[in-house]
Amino acid sequence: MKNKFLVLFIIILTTISFSKTKIVFWTAPNPNQEAFWKEMVSRYNSQNGDMEIEWSTIPAAGSSEEAILTAVASGRAPDVCTNIFSGFSAQLSEIGALYEMSSLPGFGDLVKNRKMENIMKSWEYDGKSYIIPLYSNSVLMWWRKDILKELGWDNPPRTYSDIYKLSEQISTKDSDKFSIRVIQGRNWNDRWFDYITYFYAAGQGESYVDLDRYRANISGTTGKEVAKFIETMFKNKWTAVDLGDAAFYKGYIVGSLKGPWEIAYAKNQFPDVYNNIVLSPAPVPDNYPADKPVYTFADSKGLVIFETSKHKKEAWEFVKWIFNQKDFDSMWLEYTQMPPAREDLLENPLFENFFKENPYAAEYAKFVKYAIPPAQTTKTVDIQDEMTVSLIEPMMYGTKTSDDAIKDAAKKINKLLW
Amino acid sequence: MNSKSTLKRRDARKGAAFSSIYVIYSVIFWGYPFVWLFVLAFSKWKYFGSPKFNGIYNFLKLFNDPVFWKSFLNIMNFMLYFIPLVLVGSLLFAMGMKRLKYGKTFVGLAFLLANISSGVAYSIMFSKMFSENGPLNQMLDKLFGVRIPWFTNPQWALFSIVIIVVWKFVGYYGLIIYSGLNSIPKEVYEAAKIDGATRWEQFRFITLPLLNPSIVMILVFSITLSFGIFTEPYMITGGGPLRSTLTPMMLMYTTAFQKMDPAYSATMSILVALMSFGIIWLTRKIVERDVSLT
Repeated sequence: MKNKFLVLFIIILTTISFSKTKIVFWTAPNPNQEAFWKEMVSRYNSQNGDMEIEWSTIPAAGSSEEAILTAVASGRAPDVCTNIFSGFSAQLSEIGALYEMSSLPGFGDLVKNRKMENIMKSWEYDGKSYIIPLYSNSVLMWWRKDILKELGWDNPPRTYSDIYKLSEQISTKDSDKFSIRVIQGRNWNDRWFDYITYFYAAGQGESYVDLDRYRANISGTTGKEVAKFIETMFKNKWTAVDLGDAAFYKGYIVGSLKGPWEIAYAKNQFPDVYNNIVLSPAPVPDNYPADKPVYTFADSKGLVIFETSKHKKEAWEFVKWIFNQKDFDSMWLEYTQMPPAREDLLENPLFENFFKENPYAAEYAKFVKYAIPPAQTTKTVDIQDEMTVSLIEPMMYGTKTSDDAIKDAAKKINKLLW
Repeated sequence: MNSKSTLKRRDARKGAAFSSIYVIYSVIFWGYPFVWLFVLAFSKWKYFGSPKFNGIYNFLKLFNDPVFWKSFLNIMNFMLYFIPLVLVGSLLFAMGMKRLKYGKTFVGLAFLLANISSGVAYSIMFSKMFSENGPLNQMLDKLFGVRIPWFTNPQWALFSIVIIVVWKFVGYYGLIIYSGLNSIPKEVYEAAKIDGATRWEQFRFITLPLLNPSIVMILVFSITLSFGIFTEPYMITGGGPLRSTLTPMMLMYTTAFQKMDPAYSATMSILVALMSFGIIWLTRKIVERDVSLT
């Protein structure tokens, strides 16, 4: 009997001592990203005998956020997770669900080596870093080069007045056609790809929310200029609330703000139009200096470690290993076509070939250093929902002047932030 | 005597064993969430850590939340269009089915197809069909020189959602009325004819009263459905324009999973459930009649 216990004890001890530490790692449910992470994880697992990465995509749900929150609530959150946008990371940080990375050994070197010192600043929450951005999709204006040429434009419009001039030209020629899609839709996240992009462009990256004073920052000159632009476009019927499906490709509009994810779609679905596209920064007020860089919105997502992880140190080692791979970002770019969140994309020889072969992607890469993520507030959804209902929609439907809409929206956003 | 009671006890045990499957299922998937819902409604909790009791704060906040009441009014507005349209539509469908000589099964199934279609898929289809330069507006423009702002005008947007939901449910509700029509004995109509009743009188004084159970059933279904509307406005209008298609379900979803306030969302769900039960109770009180042919 004693022998049996001894054998059992040895077996248990051996199992424990030889068992690997498992790190649960979730990534975005996207075919390109899946292919990338599959290769990266298998490389890690083959090189590291004492740790095993249990990789899967974020479970199917209405959204990644829903799946992650359900996992957090039920105590089944992964150790490491990607596909987190900055507003969501702020919400998770606020409730203490994320592990602070800025104080960890090697964090400074990681940020420095990946050339993202400036980028990281706009991702901080309460002066600390809880998330490392993976990619940064800047938002740029797409123009139909062929239509612009027909109308006598060699270069795309730069300022609001340029757009008004183009709009007048188009509306006198054909009342069913418009110059640009000013507003992308009415969902809260559509504001990233219209109002917030215009705001960053007009205000040289100034934030639409003053997080130190807990106030909306939309009543100043920048906010007024942007709102006046939107109001003018709708008031003169130079744009429409609903422009229909694929309006840009069908020629109903000449320009629209788009992210780099549209490149592959345009190439596959509208190859003729694809060759007639020219990219430019978002339109700016008339007095904006032509030689100054134009800031834009960064649609970017990052990677976090959850506070609930039982292997936080090991998880951090894994994160460091990922970013220390020399080909990590070039491989990411090849697989996903989305610019890694680093400031040296155009100077680094690692990416030279890719950008030579993909000129539109190179155009996006130029703006990564001027691309700013949403304000680091836990009220992202509420604020942008209020922007839609109190600021954008009244101007779209002409129920309020831009000044009244600004006053109303600012008051409501201030109440949310207070 | 003894063997009889043993048999009875054995039967009772078997019965309990069979029904326990459902009881266990209900406790896990209904009872537990139900209790949790009430706990949350009186707490402050954001997915992480333990809920903290905060009394009736969530309820006070809810009673002063204009967005919630706007979503409630939207549902009332929705029902104002939806219930008459779906009732008349399904009645016409059932009466048409009754008169069909051939292909009843095919027609019934064809209409039911809408009911079993994926909400996401047909929402995308309708959003393309009803868009500003979509096929429907192009046709209207060619024929009458007008374009309808299906999803861009607040009232039209809600009405467009109603049209889509009516399309989805008219076949299902129509079949309920059809079975109600089939249960009315022919003799009643024959007797009415002999008494000189016109077609309208037959419909008004025989068909409609005898269809009361089916109509009440459809009304109850319609009210429950209206309070549960989510996919169509979420996919097509996002609750706009000007929050005219925002429904309580959408608000609960965004509050719980985007604004990270599941406790407040739970409070909303309790109030919405109470209000929908209240409206159902009132409707039954007003419409339901004791129908019997004997």
